[in-house]
Amino acid sequence: MKNRNSKIILEDHQDAFLYKKSKSNLDLSFNRVSFIFFIFFIIFFIYSIHLIHLGSRKSKNEINENMNNPMNNLYRADILDRNGKFLSKTISSVDIGISTQKVIDKKKLIINLKYIFPNKDYKKIESYLINRKFFYLEKMISDENYEKIMKLGDKSIQPEEKLTRIYPEKNLFSHIIGQIDNDNNGISGLEKSLDNELKNLQEPIKLTVDKDIQFLIRNELLKFNRIFKTKGSAAILMDVNNGDILSLVSLPDFDPNKRETISDINLINRATKGVYEFGSVFKTFTLAAAFDEKIIEPQTEYNDLPKSLTCAGFPIREYDDKIPSDLTAEQILIRSGNIGSVRIGQQIGEEKFRLFLSKIGILEKINFDIEEVGKPIKFNWGKCPLATVSFGHGITTTLLQLAKAYAIIVNGGHQINPTIIKKSQKEKKEKILDQEVSEKILPILRKIVNSKEGTASLANVNGYEIGGKTGTAQKSTTGGYSKKKINSFISVFPTSSPKFVLAVMLDEPNTNQDYVYHYRDGSNIKYKGTPYNTAGWTTVETTGQIVEKIGPILATKYSEIN
Amino acid sequence: MRKFLVIFLIVFLILSTALIKNSTKRTDDEIFTIKENIRVLKNDFENIKLEYEFLSSTEKLLEFQNLYFDDELVKKDINEIKIIDQNTKKLQINNLILGNEK
Repeated sequence: MKNRNSKIILEDHQDAFLYKKSKSNLDLSFNRVSFIFFIFFIIFFIYSIHLIHLGSRKSKNEINENMNNPMNNLYRADILDRNGKFLSKTISSVDIGISTQKVIDKKKLIINLKYIFPNKDYKKIESYLINRKFFYLEKMISDENYEKIMKLGDKSIQPEEKLTRIYPEKNLFSHIIGQIDNDNNGISGLEKSLDNELKNLQEPIKLTVDKDIQFLIRNELLKFNRIFKTKGSAAILMDVNNGDILSLVSLPDFDPNKRETISDINLINRATKGVYEFGSVFKTFTLAAAFDEKIIEPQTEYNDLPKSLTCAGFPIREYDDKIPSDLTAEQILIRSGNIGSVRIGQQIGEEKFRLFLSKIGILEKINFDIEEVGKPIKFNWGKCPLATVSFGHGITTTLLQLAKAYAIIVNGGHQINPTIIKKSQKEKKEKILDQEVSEKILPILRKIVNSKEGTASLANVNGYEIGGKTGTAQKSTTGGYSKKKINSFISVFPTSSPKFVLAVMLDEPNTNQDYVYHYRDGSNIKYKGTPYNTAGWTTVETTGQIVEKIGPILATKYSEIN
Repeated sequence: MRKFLVIFLIVFLILSTALIKNSTKRTDDEIFTIKENIRVLKNDFENIKLEYEFLSSTEKLLEFQNLYFDDELVKKDINEIKIIDQNTKKLQINNLILGNEK
């Protein structure tokens, strides 16, 4: 009966099975999706990392390890002349050093070195091999010797690549370009004034100077320095219409490749830094000021001019007693009359004359591309200073300022700023003088060269229409004047349509009894020996010879042919 | 489905960006190589130009004149330099003068 109480329970597990099966199916589909998602996630992750890597990667161009790059501490941009010729260049060079501790066989090394560098002092090298840990065997080695020495395969030989600043023209542009120190800092000339630009610019800096003209002018100056035994000399050739300087020479000069400390005062830049009394070249300014003020005309007569004047107890005399007492304004400049110039100066008056000199840039320090610029010595104006300034005494300036002032007077009265850096944009010309000043002055300057009365006939080179004014001044010393002279000649050519001003100065020239002058008046007369130590016999002859040499280049390269 | 499409699009964009970047990298490398070649050639050119300028400088020419061309390499006077004027129908040969002084 007990069995009757027992219950039979039938469990239907079909659902449970189905449920499990269904559950299992669900799991399976979830795993597939997650698996695919996982794969995509991995791909996504890998490519994201790759993308981040590519994005953060610096371009190889940016980390250019090129030595000739502004990133390099020794880098400086090149300097070119107006025709694209190198005046200064940074080149990579190899220095060969020897690490003495790595030398295996000293005798063998010396034999090999003797074969490659036969002219070296091997006693010194042997002592270096014993006493030093490292020394430089050869700096800036040639390609040929580099190949030979590296073929030795000696581990003690250590090449070091370096950047070096070279000046292929040596002394030729020393006063313009200047030099740098061993830390690549400019210490003079353009190397100093353009220090930052040269360190950062990729492109070279172009100048207005012409290498060939510079060479020819320097050659002539060197020649006449020997002939007249001068202390030094200077010359500036400038375009009167835009102030571009084609040549600027100052002698003596130096070789910037040697990187020597310049302490000799005689190596001063006489063209821009040297401040001198130039004498009679100022008479042109006196006459020009009078023309600008419309006080006189070239034919205005001055009669009964005395042979001497006294001012504050000091006499003012004519340099030549043969100068007549009756002269026109034009003749005063042609014959370089002191008394006549004083009279014209007095007519202009102190204030107006001072203003005129200031306008043409004589009195103040000039703004120039290099820092070696002289400052004219200040003086107190008054009746006597006005008289002496009228014929160029008691007033100082630089040769560069003289060249600028003459350029303004002959270019139609337009303001110009002398420059040695080529500018891409043309500056607007400001008119500061009356056009008539140029028209009246130019024929007079020409007559100084091509007339018998003029003081500069030795510069009358055929074909160039040279005009100009001479200046012979005694050098001032404390409390007076010495017998030493500054002879100058500021020339302008061609006078019918001025293009160039050439200012030449000889510092302390002497006469030469053997030099033969060839007269340029068509007579073919030759004259031996320098009769007077004046600009007419020294600087004018130098200028004539310079124009003869550079003239064909100027005529063919720099003049517009109609 | 939409989510799937968005994911697919993102992945596609990532892939295509990676591919483009990769090809850009190759172009970059090519540009770099070309630039480096130009730099080397420019350096060579400048060194050769420097040498040429030295050999053809006025200083060297005067030196060569004294050594080899005593009679041949002579200075020209401005009067010997002429201009051929082609503006007129007939060819005219004029003197080269800097000014026009009468």
